[in-house]
Amino acid sequence: MSWPSCRQSVVVKAMLAIQLEAEQFEPLSALAEWHQLLAARLGIRPAAESHFVGRVRPSGANDAPLTALELEHYPGMTEACIASLAAAAAGQHGATAVLVIHRIGLVLPGDAIVLVAVAADRRGPAQRCCQELLEALKHEAPFWKREWSQGVGSWITGNTPL
Amino acid sequence: MAVSTDPESQVQVRLFAGLREAMGWSEQLVELAPAAGGNNTAGPTPEQLWRQLNLQPTNPPAGVRVAINQQFATWDSSLAAGDELAFLPPISGG
Repeated sequence: MSWPSCRQSVVVKAMLAIQLEAEQFEPLSALAEWHQLLAARLGIRPAAESHFVGRVRPSGANDAPLTALELEHYPGMTEACIASLAAAAAGQHGATAVLVIHRIGLVLPGDAIVLVAVAADRRGPAQRCCQELLEALKHEAPFWKREWSQGVGSWITGNTPL
Repeated sequence: MAVSTDPESQVQVRLFAGLREAMGWSEQLVELAPAAGGNNTAGPTPEQLWRQLNLQPTNPPAGVRVAINQQFATWDSSLAAGDELAFLPPISGG
């Protein structure tokens, strides 16, 4: 699978909502707020939506119980990169609106790390855009994860398989 | 590498995550050396600064990327005074 690059410059036609969240967030509440925003801006909610919620696993790479996952980012560049990736993916698939909420800081097992939501006129573009944008976030947006287990932190140098 | 108080002749270098902790610093100002002369006024490259700062290992690992002024760049990009250069360990978002 190929995904957009942060280097791409695109004309933004879709509604983009990008948020880095330092505190725990509830994906369903965030989606409800986004729906209200869509209804207010568009007058009607788009016909198709695709959502992805990523949560922290209970164990780390070495199968030891995980205390927390720490997410570091590059202030300024990370936000701009997510917006660029979202605009590129939305433009490629003709999506109407994109929501990305990504945690930073310490995230506890079971808590949401990322929410990606895409609204479009049809299910195909919504689903493809959502998956492509998620993969782009994993590989192109400057985030770094550190697993904390039994008082020891270990930086992760890759992504889990698709 | 000289210490200077003139930001117009410096590059701000930033490290993140495991690279920052391995090196023991997160950012520092690096003085750009004057051009060697002639018509070659191109600034140093990220690869040259990596070695100048004694970042380890000596040859930049394949997974490390660079950003100049918060945009992904290549290791052979030319740096200019006032630029912000970041060395980015392997990315792991989402």
